[in-house]
This record gives sequence, structure tokens and C-alpha cells, in this order.
Amino acid sequence: MGSNQSGAGAPRIARISAFITGDHRYVLLGTSAIAAVGMFLSSLSRPALSFLARAYVVEVVMYYLLAAWLAVAAVALAFKLVQRDAYATASPFVRPAVARALRYGSYAVCAIVAVLVVDRVAMGLASAWQVAVAAPSRPEPMLESMLFLLIKSRDIFFTGFKTTVALAVFGTAIAFFLALLLVFLRIQVPDRSDNDFVRFCKIVGSGFARVYSTVVRGTPMMVQAMIVFFGVFKLFKLTDLTTTQINSIWTTFAAGLVTIVLNSTAYMMEVLRGGIESVDAGQAEAARSLGLSQWQAMRKVVFPQGVKYAIPALSNELVINIKDSSVLSVIGTFDLMFATTTVGGTYYANFDAALITSVVYLCLTMFASWLLGRFAKRLDVRAVKLGSTSCQPINVEEE
Amino acid sequence: MSQMSNGTAAAVEPMVRIEGLRKSFGDLAVLNDVNLDVMPGEVVTIIGASGSGKSTLLRCINLLETPDAGSVWFQGKDLTSDHVDVNRLREDIGMVFQGFNLFNNMDVLDNCTLAPVTLKKSDKREAERVALGHLESVGLADFAHASVQTLSGGQKQRVAIARALCMSPKIMLFDEPTSALDPEIVGEVLEVMRRLAGEGMTMVVVTHEMAFARTVSDRVVFMDKGVIAEQGDPERMFTAPEHPRTREFLSRYLEG
Repeated sequence: MGSNQSGAGAPRIARISAFITGDHRYVLLGTSAIAAVGMFLSSLSRPALSFLARAYVVEVVMYYLLAAWLAVAAVALAFKLVQRDAYATASPFVRPAVARALRYGSYAVCAIVAVLVVDRVAMGLASAWQVAVAAPSRPEPMLESMLFLLIKSRDIFFTGFKTTVALAVFGTAIAFFLALLLVFLRIQVPDRSDNDFVRFCKIVGSGFARVYSTVVRGTPMMVQAMIVFFGVFKLFKLTDLTTTQINSIWTTFAAGLVTIVLNSTAYMMEVLRGGIESVDAGQAEAARSLGLSQWQAMRKVVFPQGVKYAIPALSNELVINIKDSSVLSVIGTFDLMFATTTVGGTYYANFDAALITSVVYLCLTMFASWLLGRFAKRLDVRAVKLGSTSCQPINVEEE
Repeated sequence: MSQMSNGTAAAVEPMVRIEGLRKSFGDLAVLNDVNLDVMPGEVVTIIGASGSGKSTLLRCINLLETPDAGSVWFQGKDLTSDHVDVNRLREDIGMVFQGFNLFNNMDVLDNCTLAPVTLKKSDKREAERVALGHLESVGLADFAHASVQTLSGGQKQRVAIARALCMSPKIMLFDEPTSALDPEIVGEVLEVMRRLAGEGMTMVVVTHEMAFARTVSDRVVFMDKGVIAEQGDPERMFTAPEHPRTREFLSRYLEG
């Protein structure tokens, strides 16, 4: 089953190329939608850098070619409606020569629309960029305004971006290791071979983990950020450091990172616990029956399996942290959200700034999901490979 | 209870002695004052209807279930006492489960060497040599590096037996070892068990395989409603059972 997954790329390309080069009856349906998009683009006003503005006649010809294509599609549809089941055999549109002509026509339609997309969308962006670069103050049109903000405040945005990525990546990584420790405490149950001291420690440890998880998951992260930041600040105040000194040690970034770690640890611990509890009880029983202690059975048998079950949900925590770090702007952590409100306030353009940021956040989370998806896949593939490395034909059952 | 008083074995100390064992899950009394001795080298099969407490009795022998009352003696040590290192004693009690319970995160060989390397502090290479020997004896040496997911049920169960044998146990407990297997491959597991019995291993087997109980075991124990209703020589048990419940349970086999 592993080979099917890894070899999925090549057949997909082959399928697509077969779709493009083959004569088939969807050609009119699909390309008439594309042609309609092209006509819509053509009806938009030309941007300053439009090259078709200088070749007005070419665009007019292109527009009417698209219109003609839609007309052909309409005629074909009429034939289909009239002939119904006989269409596949009797219609002039299914003759090989006509079908081939339609295929070449569809290539032409796609090419025309591609030209229009470049002219209107790409050149439109370039024109807006030109305007935004040259503008002394924020221009009114939306696209120009957003580009203006992006260019003028690129340093602020970039600083915020770096902080957000650092908070999410380091926060999740540190929280993962703390969660591993904490879940060990959480799942401790007294065993009959434990003495009273070990028994006591297990009960206290498990109880602590339980209370921690309940408190952290039951309060908003924004409030936690304020408690962490101002609480530790108060502690520092007990020493004879000045406020400036304290601020240089206990920075908003440090407070933000601690908040994320505290928060994420609780959630990841619960995810790990779920993974561990989903491991069949027979695994631990078998280990215990061989004489392994509770700890040994947990460490060597149950834990590795539980962590593996939990990996998809664990990696999701990185995506969550990318987004949730935005609440840290409440204590002044200079993340992407803080940058956004700063820029939006400076240019009286909160909506535009928020729109820019949402695109950045979306790109970040999509990239992180993609990366983690590949990572998880690789772990799984490795597990499968382990079995197939044997030189023996062992997959008799599957065949 | 009809405690077996075997004159010839009286001189030898029993390997396992179960006295007055009681166990209940909630309100359900599963074991009700059970007494049983298992002599060294003896093969005891426990039969009975589902829910009669067979598996629970077996699991009490290595304390996977904690008895509510009574005691379990293994080689002269009371497992139920607080001063006994249960983990250490379990090393000498091999167990094979109905669901195989092979460690899914390891290959076949690591399944077999985990406990010896962890507990006996034996050299990994030496442990692997021993494990390969046991895998050879169950006919699976070629599968040493296969992952357990790729094995058939019968192969898994044979690996489970080899894994238990790697700890050189004094006694082997089998908890319905063939119940999860389809009839065609039951034979390969029973064959391994039969050979093990022939080698003089002390065995307690909970099973529904009556032919195995009749031909391989030294003693058959019939359990009903949490007590041992009747026990004795397999030939007598299968030809002339005394207890009405035993007769009822074995009626199908008595005719044949």
C-alpha cells in the first residue's frame, strides 16, 4: 500500500495529459465556462500597463472569437436537447473530424483567456504596484491602498511575521517536550508493586497534571497572557531592579512565548493522553506478563505507539499556535497582529491592513499544514517499509 | 471442593497452588473459592462454558487480575503477599493471549528480545541468538525481521509463544490461544503447544479445543459458575463425567 501512495505523482500527470490530448465530450462544457471568464475580463477597464490597449483590434477579435465559441457551445447544447440519446451517434459534433476541430478550438480559447488574464490581472497588479510606489500618501483604490501599506510598512510587517513564526515554532516545539513529561505524570496509576512513597508521588503528579490541564484549558489565552506578563513583572518588582531593567529581561516576547508554551502544553498533553489511551490494553498486559514493570511497559511498548497515534493531532497544534499567537498583542508582543493594528492605525486603514494580514496568516497556516502533512506521511511510510524490507514474501495474506 | 489428592505427587511441591481464590467484578462473582494445584511438568486444561471464570482464574495465576481473597502460590512464594516482587516472578510465568498482543511497534525479533534484554540484562546479540532459536522451533525464523502486522493469525500466535519462551519460563499459561484463529490454522498453533507439552513444560491451558484437552493434557478441569465442578484424568472426564453439568457440557464430545 505504501508503493501506491508514493507512486501517485506520475500517473496523475499521465492522466491529466491524456485528458488534455484526448477528444471527449466535455470539451464544450468546460471551455465555454473559461470563455465566459475571458469575456468578463475583457469587459473590465484596462489597467495603465495593459499591452492590449495598444492593440485594440486584437482584443476585439479575441472577444468575438470567445463569443463565437459560446455560440457553438449553445448550438451543441441545442443538438443535445433535441437529439437526446441519439446525440452520441447522430450528432455532427461527435464526428471525429469535428471533435478534433473542437479540441484545437478549445486550445485557442484557453490561450486567448490566458492572454486576457495576463493583461488584466498581472498587468493590473503591476500598474497598482507602480501607483503605490510613487504615491506620496495612501491612494484610495483598494488594491493600490493595500500595496501602499505593504510597501511603506514592510519592515513592521516583516518584524511581526518573524515574531509570529518564532512564537509558533518554538512555542509548539517546547510545549511538545513539556507535554511528553506532563502526560507521563497524568497517566500514572498506583501499581501493586509500588511502595507508599511512589504511590504518593504518582497520585500527586497525576492530580497536578489534571488540575493544570483543567485550569489552562478553561481560561482564555488572552487572560493567561496578562497574568503571566504582569504576574512575573510583579515578582521582578520585588527585587531592586528598575522598570527599564525588568522590561529588558522580561520582554513581551518572552512573556508571549511562555504563555504559548503553557497553553499548548495542556492541549498537547490531552492529545497525547488520547493517543496513549487508544493503545490496546493487551499491549501493556503482554509486556507486564513478561515481567516488565509498569514503567518499562509504558516506555517501551505503549508510549511509542500512543505518540504515533497522536502525531496528526499534535502537528495541528502548530497551525493553531500560528493563529492563536495573535491574542498576545494584548500584552504588546510585536507579532503579526500587533504590526497590523500599528499599520492600520497609522494610515487610518484598518480594513486594508487586516485584509493583508489575513492573507499572510492563511498562507502561513496552509504552508504549515502542507509541511506537517508530508511529515506525517513520511512517518507512516517508514512504518510500512519496515515490514517490506524482509527478503521473504510475507504479504501472502494480502494477495 | 474435590481437591485432588494424588498420592504419588504428594512428595513433590506443586508449581502453582491456588487456595480459596475469590474474584468479582462489581457485583458479579467470577471466581468463588477456587482451589487448584499444578504439579511440575503437568499439563492442565481448563474447560467450561463462556463466563465460567476460566480466563479469570488463569489471569490470577500471574496476577494480571488481582484476587479479592485467597492466595496464589508459585514455587512456594505467595504472589498475593505485599512483600513479593511480582515483576520478578512474572518473568518465570509465560503467558499467551487470545488476541496475540504482539508489540505493534517492533518487528518479530524485537518482540522476542525486548524482555530478555530489558530484564535479564543479557547481551542483545545473545538474546537474538536465543530468540532465533525459539522462532526456529515454531517455524518462523525467516520472519525475524517482518513487522507483526504482516503476519497471519497463526503466525502471530506462534511468535507470541516464542516470545514467552525467550524468558525461559517455568510454566506457560495459555488463554484460549486458538479462539481468534480460523479453523484451518488452529492446527499449526496446537502442534507447537503439543510439542511444548512433550518437552515437559508445565502448562495451564484454557481452551475450547476438546481434542487437544483429551489427547495432550494430564488433567482436565471443568469450571462452572466460578467454581471447579469436576476435574480428573482426561479419558475419564471425556468418557464418564460424574457431575451433571460436565455431562451436559461434554455431551457433544461424549457421543463422538
